[in-house]
Amino acid sequence: MQVVSLDELKRHGALWQGRRGLLTADRLLSSGWTVLDDVLGGGWPRASLAEVLSDAHQGLPLILPLLARLSAGPRWLAWVAPPYVPYAPALVARGVRVERLLLVRDVSAGQRLWAAEQALKSGACSAVLVWPEQVQAAQLRRLQLAAEQGDCPGILFRSLRTVRQGSPAALRLRVRPSPAGLAVEVLKRRGAWGGATCIVPVGRDEDRGGPALVP
Amino acid sequence: MLWLALYFPHLPLEVITRGRQQAGALAIIEKLGGREQVSRCNSAAQAYGIRPGLALPAALALCTGLSVQRRDRAREQQALHGLAAWAYQFSARISFEPSLLLLEVGASLRLFGGLPTLLAPLQRELEQLGYSVRHAVAPTPMAAGVLARNRPDCQVVMQDGLCEAVAPLPLACLTRARDVRNLIRHIGMDSIGDVLALPRAELARRTGPQLLNLLDRLLGRLPDPRPEWQPPRHFSQTIELLGEIAQTMALMFPARRLMVALCGFLRGQGGGAQRLQWTLRHRDHPPTRFGQGLLDPSRDPDHMLEVLRERIERLQFPAPVVAIDLRVDDWQAFEERSLTLFERPAQADQALLERLSNRLGEQRIRGLRCLADHRPECAWQFCQPGESVVPLSPRGVSQPPWLLPQPRPLRECQGAPQYGGALRLENLPERIEAGWWDGFDITRDYFVAHSPAGERLWVFRDRRAGGWYLHGLFM
Repeated sequence: MQVVSLDELKRHGALWQGRRGLLTADRLLSSGWTVLDDVLGGGWPRASLAEVLSDAHQGLPLILPLLARLSAGPRWLAWVAPPYVPYAPALVARGVRVERLLLVRDVSAGQRLWAAEQALKSGACSAVLVWPEQVQAAQLRRLQLAAEQGDCPGILFRSLRTVRQGSPAALRLRVRPSPAGLAVEVLKRRGAWGGATCIVPVGRDEDRGGPALVP
Repeated sequence: MLWLALYFPHLPLEVITRGRQQAGALAIIEKLGGREQVSRCNSAAQAYGIRPGLALPAALALCTGLSVQRRDRAREQQALHGLAAWAYQFSARISFEPSLLLLEVGASLRLFGGLPTLLAPLQRELEQLGYSVRHAVAPTPMAAGVLARNRPDCQVVMQDGLCEAVAPLPLACLTRARDVRNLIRHIGMDSIGDVLALPRAELARRTGPQLLNLLDRLLGRLPDPRPEWQPPRHFSQTIELLGEIAQTMALMFPARRLMVALCGFLRGQGGGAQRLQWTLRHRDHPPTRFGQGLLDPSRDPDHMLEVLRERIERLQFPAPVVAIDLRVDDWQAFEERSLTLFERPAQADQALLERLSNRLGEQRIRGLRCLADHRPECAWQFCQPGESVVPLSPRGVSQPPWLLPQPRPLRECQGAPQYGGALRLENLPERIEAGWWDGFDITRDYFVAHSPAGERLWVFRDRRAGGWYLHGLFM
């Protein structure tokens, strides 16, 4: 019987270790929050959908450090149907170059998904944030394909009611406010177990100390 | 000087068929010598044995489904003017003969780098415009015209070769004037070469000055000034569709022809268009009009067509379309950008913006900028996406990323604001007092507040009128 060492198998990539996750570091974008990166296994998936589920459109501060970093590039940061007005002075204070923002406002539910798909697959956006009303599973798959095609992270902010709906997104988070910041629970992470939780101290550091420093 | 003649032998037919990708058997008829006869017909009609010169009843007997159109010289003339507007990109001196354009290209040859590089794009675009062409090049306008009609593809660049090139041509092709043609018939000579071989004085004595004058202009011995055509200020062209089009996407074919014509015109003017006005004409309904906007001046037909496709896909029109026209009233100076690696993302940028704004409407696609004002309502503004701004010193550090479009009044209970229970206010307020100068005068104390549910909110107390308001969200 031939004996093969585990190390050799690992070196040839023939052995996959569950804990490490399918997404390698170059397929992830650091969130800029150390605690969040820890539970996400390194950051937001780069060319895929991520869902942030909450009661009342919460969770934007989780991605502001990433948006700040991406806004230094030449591509758009698309916001499709944001529920309120993105407050420009506060975004600037958090390091986001607002001239890279592309807002799609006052559009119907169908138009939101169409605009999101176009933005994701265009290759002209470095991130696409979407506040859809209702999304069918088939439409989610379209968005997921568009994100892969355009190599662009797509972040969907959805209601907690959709927790039980299946989703092709690489990442699903449940977010709720807590006294110490935003409590985040990983519901699904591609290539890893869900269930990890953390509290992201939004409003503790970045709101006082100026723009968050991102590695 | 060097003249390029473009002769459009099928112009009477093509002005009618160019709006359609395929047309059935079609004949153009004309009244000649008191009877209606076929003057041009397309290949589908030729397959039935129909030929130019055939009497109309005979043609109809050969093909019962033949569509018949009367020759429309006004439309041909219009088409020729449209072609001149397109050709202005190749030459600034253009003049007309029937079914023929004359372009002085001696001056532009160096710019284009020789005849072949001038002719290749010219022929390609003429095909896209829906015209077949025969061309010739000669040092005099008259020779170029005569050669294009009778010896297509002939290129005489030097004066020396001209006599030899025109010598075999029939004398009658020099003019359409009846008296000169009669004269030519009477002197009993067929070709130009025969006449040129005669002693000049003898010829002048026998035929009078007219024929000699023609020959001198042909060979450049006499000046042959032509009225110079002036390009129009606006672009406005129509393609009439043979029959009706009910399907939106079938309109893309004639639209592309108009687009190529427009882009040629814009290159001639050194401009790019930003606002295109389309009109679809129906038989019994008022026309459908719509605009097509571009974010940057453009003259790239493929790009414009892509944008049009987005626009036209969701267009509803009340009846089938019989004609389509395109109008551009003004254009902007245009800088030709070379496609480099670094410019490509910027183009994808623009393409996305155009696609979104054409489908959803420009007012729904917005950018954001900061204004130098302390009042939250006035510290920002929607703008064109990507509009660059003067950076301001950051001052929104303790302010929330979300702003409510309108401050929302909060219930008060024992002097404390309520939002799902009593709010807990964080330390000292930020006082904002501004606007006495423009009528939107505010005096507010802004607080960061915590709701019982754990949300962080941005609330203020109106110091003048009293009352608490929710104005922003931190989460």
